[in-house]
Amino acid sequence: MPFRFILRPLRRSIVALPPALFTALICYSLPVLAQEAEAGEQLFQTHCARCHGILGEGGEGPSLKRPQLNHAPDDDALYSVITEGIPGTGMPGSWMLSPADGRQLVSYVRNLGQLPDEPMPGDPSAGEIVYNNAGNCASCHILNGIGEGIGPQLNGVGARRNSEYLRRSVTSPEVEQPKIVDRFRGTLNAFLTVRIVSERGTYEGMRINEDAFTVQMRDLAGDIYSFEKADLLSFEKAFGHSYMPGYGAVLTETQINDVVSYLMTLRD
Amino acid sequence: MKKINKMNVKFACSFILAIGTLHSVSTLADTTYEDHLADEANGADWLSYSGGYKSHRFSPLSQINTANVDQLKVMWAYQMQPTGISGAGLQETTPVVSDGIMYLTESPSSVTALDARSGNLLWHWSPDISNEVLNIGFPRINRGVALLDNNVYVATLDARLFALDARTGAVRWETQVADNSLGFSLTLAPLALDGKIIVGVSGAEAGVRAFLDAYDASSGQRLWRTFTVPEPGEPGSETWQGDDWETGGGSTWLTGSYDPELDLLYWTTGNPAPDWNGDLRPGDNLYTCSVIAFDPETGEMRWHFQYTPHDTHDWDANQIPVLVDGEFEGQQRKLLALANRNAFYYLLDRATGEFLLAEEYSYQTWAEGIDENGRPIVIPNTEPTREGVLVWPSLQGATNWFSPSYNPQTEQFFVANRRMGAIYFKADAEYQPGQPFLGGGEQALDGDQATGAILALDVMSGEQQWEFELLTPPWSGVMATSGGLVFGSSNEGQFFALDAATGDPLWNFNTGAHIRTNPMGFSIDDNQRVAIIGGQTLFVLGLE
Ligand code: HEC
Ligand code: HEC
Repeated sequence: MPFRFILRPLRRSIVALPPALFTALICYSLPVLAQEAEAGEQLFQTHCARCHGILGEGGEGPSLKRPQLNHAPDDDALYSVITEGIPGTGMPGSWMLSPADGRQLVSYVRNLGQLPDEPMPGDPSAGEIVYNNAGNCASCHILNGIGEGIGPQLNGVGARRNSEYLRRSVTSPEVEQPKIVDRFRGTLNAFLTVRIVSERGTYEGMRINEDAFTVQMRDLAGDIYSFEKADLLSFEKAFGHSYMPGYGAVLTETQINDVVSYLMTLRD
Repeated sequence: MKKINKMNVKFACSFILAIGTLHSVSTLADTTYEDHLADEANGADWLSYSGGYKSHRFSPLSQINTANVDQLKVMWAYQMQPTGISGAGLQETTPVVSDGIMYLTESPSSVTALDARSGNLLWHWSPDISNEVLNIGFPRINRGVALLDNNVYVATLDARLFALDARTGAVRWETQVADNSLGFSLTLAPLALDGKIIVGVSGAEAGVRAFLDAYDASSGQRLWRTFTVPEPGEPGSETWQGDDWETGGGSTWLTGSYDPELDLLYWTTGNPAPDWNGDLRPGDNLYTCSVIAFDPETGEMRWHFQYTPHDTHDWDANQIPVLVDGEFEGQQRKLLALANRNAFYYLLDRATGEFLLAEEYSYQTWAEGIDENGRPIVIPNTEPTREGVLVWPSLQGATNWFSPSYNPQTEQFFVANRRMGAIYFKADAEYQPGQPFLGGGEQALDGDQATGAILALDVMSGEQQWEFELLTPPWSGVMATSGGLVFGSSNEGQFFALDAATGDPLWNFNTGAHIRTNPMGFSIDDNQRVAIIGGQTLFVLGLE
């Protein structure tokens, strides 16, 4: 896979060379590739590991030990994911990376994709039953078009998060809260619980958006409200609070393993 | 034939009549040096980046004021033109206006002339810039043009300086200022003096040795170049060891100020290189993170003041040096005020460079204070480490390149303030030409962990008079006006007006996209206008 990427800059500088020499250069690029991946490891640990895990196993960001990445079907796309981030998600871009750094990371991430992915802790089809029955997860999540949209849509969650993260989401949802990295505003909590008191009453729910003058929220009934901050009697943000119940006490260990496995299969 | 002739005469007559009555529509006066000298008092035009040599970014107009600002409306908008160059979507330009024509830049380095009355395009010029152009440590942006006589001057991302014909956008001359393949780049609005164009460079994140240049405005010949990092034997070289100076940084990437009476040019400098690993460059690293007073004729340094000696947090001093005249401790003085990225506000005597005062204007955890010589009393263990160390402010600073504003009538200094900490890391760094030379990095406590504000400070003491809180640390500057207003904007996209006396919000408008520019103001047919760019769209607002 990384061939294409390496070839491009080379080809640019040797357009006028005879085909024989061209082949020679391709061979020569193989050890260069290995070096790139090694330098890539360093870069990965500095810039990526805090979200994707020290070995690429995932965390706040997805496991990258997958041969196919949804946002990065080819190396060009992977390069722009790395340098520019994925708008509207928790994946930031980084100006601190040179083009050479970016290419090294592409090689490194593609190498990670060759590694075996995480094993599943349980039985995904049993997990689907937990999801729809004991867990009643669809009362708050939309999956493949079905359910209520109180929490985030779960399509593709298995590609976005690793198993450890998914387990924590189910057992201690207040710990792992989805974030949005806005290129201009920084990392914002996407489901922040807020409590707003105005002259018309008290409103509780999840912040949808906010600026210096106004705030928008959605309550558990799904109703959306917009407030002028100047009119409010109080406005509190409850960081670390989640409307999702912790399922550690509700489900058995096996049920949790199964539902986590089910979530891991939700890849697109 | 006869008939046609007659018609022609009639047409010619009405044409002359039109010129006679609507002269402001069709004439384009040159922007002379004398016009620049008078710009501060002239509310109709806005002739240079900071609205005059003293860099007050103050509009002396009061038609729009605290009583009627809530009736502001959009008079016209202009949508910027994509160039096909990737990563060039941020707009940080301040438009300038001369005699009814607005000139602005679009990222990365295009220039647009608009009819300031209607917003209609007069001309657009775009240089040929390669997609591989290096911009190490900053986005692909441009902050604006300089005007002098019949020319418009623009500095480009690939480190060239162009003079364009103000009427048509045709190129008069071009010169290569520096080598982009080493990481040199130009993003600032040039400064036009009498017959000279002054430009500085970016590139400290690539380990350049930076300088300030003056060019002959009519020929493009370089008149002088002064390096901001001295070579061995020159004054200041004792603050460097070995050959560290060769890659020492000290970029000059933001437009400076000028005092015509003292005939001194003030320019600020950025971080030493590499940014976060100070072990690789022991010493104070002059003249990085400083303000320097230059003789504009020769480029000689008259004095310097270093805000952050041996900086290891990337706290460039590239903020706007604001020239203030007033009574300081009972004495009439010529002052230079600057709200530094390092979270302190400073007042200097701008004739001598004497340090007068420093005041903490934003939360910080790196210095106990500033001593009587202006040197920070650094708190131990606040330098970046391999494991990371949490320090306020973040590397983007308590403020940054976006402009402050000064109202000379009320002696208030306004600044957009970033309140964010960061975990600073130190790493190895090896200089390679045209590659990042950083020696570390940061992990910012951003988003919900950070906030921002617009602050009003007493210019003579630096004491805060009020603050207006913003949701996230801003990337846009402020403009005060004679109408008792301060205009500012937010990452969330609002352009707003505050009551300068109290900080109360009086009006706001959602532009629909992040704002990363400075407001400016002018008038057309005696109607006051304010301008701001949200996302890719320029909005010009007024009452009528
Ligand atoms: C602040 C946390 C964070 C950092 C730092 C971070 N990422 Fe991500 N990354 C994420 C998240 C969250 C996603 C999932 C985005 C989504 O689709 O919702 C992601 C997605 C990705 C994807 C897309 C995966 C797919 O399935 O398409 C790639 C590739 C990736 N990151 C690589 C990197 C690399 C390489 C670095 C270091 C240069 C990095 N990331 C740094 C959080 C991070
Ligand atoms: C009462 C509503 C509610 C129920 C019931 C609920 N959730 Fe959630 N869930 C949420 C909310 C709200 C969030 C957003 C994050 C937070 O608040 O912790 C969330 C977050 C998540 C996440 C994290 C998604 C991400 O991308 O970070 C996962 C995974 C998840 N829920 C799975 C489940 C599963 C599985 C069940 C059933 C066993 C379930 N949820 C039941 C409301 C609910």
